[in-house]
Amino acid sequence: MGIENTKDCHVLVIGSGGAGIRAAVEAETFGETIIVSKTITGKGGCTVMAEGGFNAVLNEEDSIQTHFEDTMRGGAFLNDELLVQTLASEAPNRIRDLFSWGAVFDLKEDNTIAQRPFGGQRCARTCYAGDHTGHELVMTLLEKLRGSTVEIENEVTVLDLLSDDGKVNGAITCDREGELGVITADAVILATGGAGQVYDTTTNSTAGTGDGYALGYRAGAQLIDMEQVQFHPTGAVTPYDSRGRLITEAVRGEGGFLKNALGERFMTKYDPARMELSTRDVVARAIATEVLEGRGTEHGGVWLDVSHLPREHIEIRLPIMLNQFLQFGVDIRNEPMEVAPTAHHFMGGIKITPEAQTTVSHLYAAGEVTGGVHGGNRLGGNALADTQVFGKRAGIAAGKTERTERRLDMDQIRAAENKLASYYEGTAKSADIRRAMKTTMWNNVGIYRNELDLKVAEREIKKLQNTRLLIASPRELSDAVITENMLLVAQLVIEGALLRRESRGAHTRTDIKQSWTNETSPFGHTFFVKGKSGIEILEDRL
Amino acid sequence: MKVTISRFDPDTGEPPKFVEYDVSVKKAARVLNVLDAVRDTIDPGFAYRHCCRGGQCGSCAVRVNGEPVLACMQEAREGDVIEPLELPRIRDLVTDIAPVMAQIAWMNSGCDCTQVTQQEIEEIKPLRECIECYSCISSCPAISVSDYKGPTIMRQEQRLNLDPRDKGDRILEAIDKGLFSCTTCHKCVEVCPKEIETPRKAIEKLRAEAAKRGLSLPAHKALAALIEKTGRSVERKEPTFLERVADVIEPEGEVRATVGFFVGCMFNGRVIQPALDAMEVLRKNGIRVIVPKDQICCGSPLIRTGLSGFLPELQKRNIDAFVKAGVDTVLTICAGCGSTLKNDYDTPFRVVDITEYLCELGFKIPEKVEGTYTYHDPCHLLRGQGISEQPRILLDSVAEKFVEMPARCCGAGGGVKSGLPEQAAAIGAIRAEMVKETGADYIVTVCPFCEFHLHQVTGLPVKNIATLMLEGYRKQEK
Ligand SMILES: Cc1cc2nc3c(=O)[nH]c(=O)nc-3n(C[C@H](O)[C@H](O)[C@H](O)COP(=O)(O)OP(=O)(O)OC[C@H]3O[C@@H](n4cnc5c(N)ncnc54)[C@H](O)[C@@H]3O)c2cc1C
Ligand code: SF4
Ligand code: SF4
Ligand code: FES
Repeated sequence: MGIENTKDCHVLVIGSGGAGIRAAVEAETFGETIIVSKTITGKGGCTVMAEGGFNAVLNEEDSIQTHFEDTMRGGAFLNDELLVQTLASEAPNRIRDLFSWGAVFDLKEDNTIAQRPFGGQRCARTCYAGDHTGHELVMTLLEKLRGSTVEIENEVTVLDLLSDDGKVNGAITCDREGELGVITADAVILATGGAGQVYDTTTNSTAGTGDGYALGYRAGAQLIDMEQVQFHPTGAVTPYDSRGRLITEAVRGEGGFLKNALGERFMTKYDPARMELSTRDVVARAIATEVLEGRGTEHGGVWLDVSHLPREHIEIRLPIMLNQFLQFGVDIRNEPMEVAPTAHHFMGGIKITPEAQTTVSHLYAAGEVTGGVHGGNRLGGNALADTQVFGKRAGIAAGKTERTERRLDMDQIRAAENKLASYYEGTAKSADIRRAMKTTMWNNVGIYRNELDLKVAEREIKKLQNTRLLIASPRELSDAVITENMLLVAQLVIEGALLRRESRGAHTRTDIKQSWTNETSPFGHTFFVKGKSGIEILEDRL
Repeated sequence: MKVTISRFDPDTGEPPKFVEYDVSVKKAARVLNVLDAVRDTIDPGFAYRHCCRGGQCGSCAVRVNGEPVLACMQEAREGDVIEPLELPRIRDLVTDIAPVMAQIAWMNSGCDCTQVTQQEIEEIKPLRECIECYSCISSCPAISVSDYKGPTIMRQEQRLNLDPRDKGDRILEAIDKGLFSCTTCHKCVEVCPKEIETPRKAIEKLRAEAAKRGLSLPAHKALAALIEKTGRSVERKEPTFLERVADVIEPEGEVRATVGFFVGCMFNGRVIQPALDAMEVLRKNGIRVIVPKDQICCGSPLIRTGLSGFLPELQKRNIDAFVKAGVDTVLTICAGCGSTLKNDYDTPFRVVDITEYLCELGFKIPEKVEGTYTYHDPCHLLRGQGISEQPRILLDSVAEKFVEMPARCCGAGGGVKSGLPEQAAAIGAIRAEMVKETGADYIVTVCPFCEFHLHQVTGLPVKNIATLMLEGYRKQEK
C-alpha cells in the first residue's frame, strides 16, 4: 500500500458545518474523535453563510405540534414524520445548548430569545443573530470545539469511505498537497452539506458539491428524494460572476415589490392573497414563468424594488443588502435590484432514522446531506435547526457504536489508488466538465421539468461521466474526485426527477397532469441504492 | 485582464516569483474570479483559498497592491498585483494560518448557565462579526517584532471578557498574549472587512481592566501619576510653550479667522520650537490664535494605556478652558491630541488639524525650500482623523522635491515607546528602512511623537510641517 499516513479514532466526522461540529463535540464524550473538512474548519460549507435564522418553539403561543404541521405542509407531506417530530421537539433544547456555550443571538428587552416570523410558519419562531445567524452559530460551535479534545484536520478531503464486512470503518483522505491518507474509526458521520454547485447558478459555497451523497452512495447507503432541489426565488443576476448570490427574503418581508420588465406586479396572477410574501416555491415558479414568457429583464431576471420605501427604512432594516448592491454600483434606495431564482437547498439525501443511522452499519449522517426531514420543500430556518438536532443525535449514536477490530480492506484501497493513478492519463479538465454539467443541470433540470429535457440531461451527464478526467499534479486529485461526485449527484437528481411523475414540493413536472393533492399523492420517496432506484408507491392511496 | 500573481512552489526550493497572467473575465469581476480564471484556463495546480464567494467565511483574504482584501469582494483592476497575506507561506497564495487559529481563545463555560442579558449581548456584538480572515494579523506592525499575538486575538479575549458565561481570566491571558504591544495605529481597523474597532473596543478596554487590577506596565503607571500630579505627561525642564506665548496671538494683516490653540504636552514641554513655528505660520495666514493657559494634557496617554481614572477631570478642564475662551474652532498640531479630541471627547466646538484647516481656509503659497522630503503619515492623523491629502498639498507647495512613502506605523504610539522601548525601536527600524529607500534627506510629519521617534531611529532630520512652511515663508520674505 502506498498510503503511509494513517490515523485511528473512535468516531470520524466528515464536514465541519453546523451538523459536523455539533456531532463532533457530542461524539467526543464517548471517545477519541477526529473532524475533517476539505476547507478550513467552520469556514466551509453553507452554515456560515446562513442569514435568516433558526426555528425553535420557545413560547406559549407556539407549540411543537404547530411546528410539526407547518414543516409537513411546507414539505408537501413528503417528509418523514418521525424525523419532523424529532426536529420540532428537540430544536428548543439545541438552541439552549448554543446559549450555554456562548451564542450571541439577539435577545428581547426581557432577556428572552428574540424570534421573527418566517415564510410558511404560523408563529414567530425563527431565532436569529442579526442577518448573520449561520456565522454566529459556527462561531459558537468553534468556541466549543476549540476547547474540546476533538482532533481537527483542516483542508483534508475525504475521497471514499472504507468498509469491512458491510460495516463502514474509515475513509481515504487526500490533503492539500495531494498526499493520500487513511483514517480508521469505529463509526463515521457524514456531515458534508448540500450540492447547489451542480447547478450553474447557486447560493451555495464552492464546497457545496455533494460529496457526501456520493460517498454514502458508493458505500451502499440509501438516498431518497434527490430530485427535490429548492430554488430560492431571489438570487442576484448581475454582475455575471455574482449570479446566484442570495438576496435575503427580508427584502420582500420589508415590503419589496416584484415587477416584470413591463413594470407589472406579476404576483397578482400567481398568489393575489400573499403576493410577494408567498412561499419560496410559488415565487420562484412565478419569476421563472415571467422570464420564460418573455417578460423578463435583458439578463433573464425580474425586478425587486424597494425604492418606494422610505430611504431611512432601507438604511436601517436592510443595511447589508444596501451595501452589497452599492458595491456593484446599484443604489437600491433609488433603483430596483435584478433578481432570478437560484439553486439553494437539497431536501433529498441520505436516508436516516431519528438516531441518524443510515442504511449502512456504523455510518451516520446529519445536516443537509440527509433526506427526509424537509420533504419536498424546506422552510426558512429549519435547516440550521436540523444541523443541531441531528448533529447531536449522530454524535451520540456514533459515539455509542461498539468498538470493532480494525481490518483494512486492502483491495478497496488498491482499487482506489489505481483509479486515482488513472487520472494522469485522462483527457478532460475538471473545470470544463463541471462547466458543461452545470449548464446542463441549469437548463434541463431546473424549476420546470419535463421528460424530454430530463432525458437530454441524462444523456449529457452520462457522456461527461464517460469522459476521463485529466490531472497534472497530485494537488488536483481531490478536485477530480469531487467532479465525479458532482456528476453522480447530477445523475441521481435526474433519475429522481424522471421517477417522480408528479409535481410535488420543489419538483414541478410540466408534462404531467395529476388528480391528487400533496396529501393524497400515491407516491412516497424516490430512492437510490447502488445501481437500483425507484419510487415508493403507497398502495392504500391508489 | 492582465494581473501579476506571486507564485511559490515549496517543492522547487526556489524563492517566490511574480508571474504575469492575461485572462479574460466578465465585467465587474472580483479578484477571486480572476484567480478562478487562472486556475481554470491556465494552471489547474494554482493554489488559493475560497469558499463562500460572498465575504462571509474569511477564507480568501490576499494582498492586492500591498493591502489585505477579501478576494471575493474586491473588484479586480487591470494591473493588480496579487500576493498572499504576510503570514508563513505554504504554496502560492495559501498561508499557514494554523498558528494564528491556535491562539484564538475559546469559551470556558464553567457552568450550565444560559443567563446573559440583552445589554451584554449588544456590547459583545461589535466584536463578534470577525470572519477570521487574518487581514489584521497580516498587517499589524507589532506582531513581527514582538511576541504579540495580534488584533483579532485581543478582540476574542475582550469578547469573552464581556461574556458572563465565560469563566476564564481574560485579562491575565491578554497580557500574556502581548496586550501592551499594540501601538493603537488602527491599521487593523483599516483592513478589517467587518470594520471591527479592535484597538478602541477591545485593547483599550482590556488595558483599562488590567489597570484597575494594578497590572499596568510600571512606565505607564508612572506616566499616569505624573499627569495626575502636574496635568502634563512631560516633565517641565525649561519654560513651556504656554509660558512663552501671549494669550492672544494677532495675525499679520487682515484677520481672516480666529481659532483656539490646543498645544499638547510634547509641544508644550519637549519639542517647543515647532509649536512656535506653527504660530508664525498661522500669523502669516491671517489667523488669530487664542491660547487658553488653563488647558492641560488631552488624556491620550491615559486612554491608550487604560489608566483612564483621571480622564473625566481632564476632559472637563480642557473643554471648559476653550468654552471660556469663546472659540468655535480648536486647532491642534499634534496628531495624537487631535485624534483624542475628535474621537474621545464630546466637544461643543469643532476640532481641526492644522493641515486640514490651512487647506480649507486657503493658505499663502511659500517659496520652495531645497532638499528631498518624504512624508510620514502619523497613524493618529491618517486613520485617527482620516487626513492624508492635506499634508501632501502643503508639502507639494513648499518642498523642492517630494517623494511618497507608503504609510506604516513608526512604533511610538499606544504607550509602546514608554512601556516597551525596545519594541518601539524595532518597529522604528523597519520604518527607517522604508525611509532609506525613498532617498529623502528630510522626513516631514505632523506628530511630535513620530517626530521624536523617527529622528532617533533614522538619524535623519525630521521636520514638522509648520517648520518647513515657515522656512518657505522666511525665504520668500528675504
Ligand atoms: C446563502 C444561504 C443562506 C441560508 N440561510 C439559511 C437560514 O437562514 N436558515 C436555515 O435554517 N438555513 C439556511 N440555509 C441552509 C443551511 O445553511 C444549510 O442547509 C446548513 O447550514 C447545512 O449545514 P451542514 O452542516 O449540513 O453542511 P455545511 O455547512 O454545508 O458544511 C459542509 C461541510 O462539509 C465539508 N465537506 C464537504 N465535502 C467534504 C469532503 N469530501 N471531505 C471533507 N469535508 C467535506 C465542508 O468543508 C464543510 O465543512 C442557507 C443556505 C445558504 C447557502
Ligand atoms: S492598532 Fe496597530 S498595533 Fe494595535 S493591534 Fe491594530 S494593527 Fe496592531
Ligand atoms: S478582526 Fe477583521 S481583519 Fe481581523 S480577522 Fe477578524 S474580520 Fe479579519
Ligand atoms: S470566499 Fe468567503 S470571504 Fe471570500
